[in-house]
Amino acid sequence: MADNSGDLVVETHKLTKIYQNRQIALNDVTLRIEPGCVLGLLGHNGAGKTTLLRLLLGLHRPTAGWAKVFGQRMTPNAASLRCRMGYIPTNPQFPRGLTPITYLDYMARLFGLPAEVRKPRLASLIRAVDLLNASGDPVDGFSNGMIARLAVATSLINEPDLLIWDEPTHGLDPEARRSMLELIKTLAREKTLIVSSHNLSDIDEVCNHAAVLSNGHLIYFGSLQDLKGRMRKNHYELDLEGDQKAIAKAMQTIKGLSEFKAVNLRQRRLEVRMTDDANTASALANVCMTLADNRITLVSIRSIGQQTEQAFLDLVEKEESRGFARAYQEREAA
Amino acid sequence: MDATAAAKRLKINRFLPYWAVFQADLKQTLRSWIYRVWVLVSLGAAVGWLLYRFGARQVGGFVQPAPEMMGDLLSWVALGSVTLIIVLTAGAICSERGTVADSVLSRGISRFQYFLGKWHARLVVVLGTFLAIALLAFVGSFLMLHTESLSFSGCLVALATVAALLVMVVTCGVSVSALSNNTVVSIAVVWMALYGVGFVLSLLPETIPSPDRTLQALPNVLKGFYDWQMLSRLISGSLSMSLLVGLVGMIGFSRKDV
Repeated sequence: MADNSGDLVVETHKLTKIYQNRQIALNDVTLRIEPGCVLGLLGHNGAGKTTLLRLLLGLHRPTAGWAKVFGQRMTPNAASLRCRMGYIPTNPQFPRGLTPITYLDYMARLFGLPAEVRKPRLASLIRAVDLLNASGDPVDGFSNGMIARLAVATSLINEPDLLIWDEPTHGLDPEARRSMLELIKTLAREKTLIVSSHNLSDIDEVCNHAAVLSNGHLIYFGSLQDLKGRMRKNHYELDLEGDQKAIAKAMQTIKGLSEFKAVNLRQRRLEVRMTDDANTASALANVCMTLADNRITLVSIRSIGQQTEQAFLDLVEKEESRGFARAYQEREAA
Repeated sequence: MDATAAAKRLKINRFLPYWAVFQADLKQTLRSWIYRVWVLVSLGAAVGWLLYRFGARQVGGFVQPAPEMMGDLLSWVALGSVTLIIVLTAGAICSERGTVADSVLSRGISRFQYFLGKWHARLVVVLGTFLAIALLAFVGSFLMLHTESLSFSGCLVALATVAALLVMVVTCGVSVSALSNNTVVSIAVVWMALYGVGFVLSLLPETIPSPDRTLQALPNVLKGFYDWQMLSRLISGSLSMSLLVGLVGMIGFSRKDV
């Protein structure tokens, strides 16, 4: 992370949002996002993801703490900062009676773009998101996929440096979802992105950093690799083919090896968990040799400890299991 | 990524966001059913009243002095329109709360610009429509009624007085809408506040201008008999209050979550 806060794209300090003294939506969130970072914002429903994004956009005012974007404090009147940001809300909605051309023109004017800049740009974007044939049709009748494409075009109309996309793949069919992920990968080469999603495989595919929110509290912020790596290391699953008795025999042999602390067999799926100090390569080589000795075919092998979804679930579970200790440790750390 | 470099790269017209909201709201208001109802009712009342008085002169031979007739008409249009104007303005901002406002306020526009765009658009619609209807009524009265006692300066003062009162109604509507989360609540608050203040003012001594007494005095104003000092106090008071209420609404909106 950058030492100089002026180089940061987003910086928050003890950001807290309490709605009308009734609901704590965000609690003491401090994070620093560098240029070029593609941050995946994870959390259950109601974890505070959208609240955080709305605070970063100045749509909400923090109850305590602050949020800086491009080194300046974000406020509801910070229009110049928002001129450098592109936003897609969860369910984009559009005023009635507008066509993609009139809507994009309206949005571009909201960024203060003069006609000679906005007209060519909106034409290029409409072509890019494949809405050329529907460019004169009212937006009211658009499908989810078309609305998502128009929302993407809207968020790019001002050529922003920071993109904030709230569940961009929500409600998209597999083909549209794939296109969206490819677009995020392309944009990530030159822009900073914050992508909120429930779909952890999407986050896994396009993000290099992750922030995990649980009940409004930031329980993890760092690289995605670290998140995946710190959870359930040395945990593998093997799909086997062969005689069931031979598989059971092989399992007994593997259980006897010192590198393994847990070996489970469910029909033809073998789950092995190694000790923390075990050498993964040699331990897996021993497993393979044992299987070969028993004439068992290895169909597939995968690490289940390295999946983002598992890491996320473990993290949230661990946080919840801490109970009141959360308050004690935080105060201690402070 | 410093701000000046980005500003240089992006050629920005700072006035454009305000203008965009103003234009969009103008179109949206003109297309709304409540606006159409207001125009139809006002026009219907004006034309009906004119024809009724014209018929009374033609058939019964009654002399129909234009100042009385126009004074009544302006009062009715103003009073009868207040509720519809409140409905038209008190939902200006709060009815768009949520996703539609998100898509606007998350762009390069400040809350001040958004509020001013909405406020000015509604003012233009209401005042423009009122003045157009009043102009039509004046033309009709000149053609069909006895207009010798009608004074030109009186007409202008009468229009300015009613317009100043309507500015107050519109400003209260938009400001409360900016501070409220619910359109129905917003309409109720503005309605009660305006009628309540009007009622209280009508109970005060006659030296204090009130909307009620001003509207009753319109026939004399149209003839050119008016207390300019009193009317100018009413007009300037109404405009100053509008400015103050607008300012409160704008500042309140800039500090509010959307």
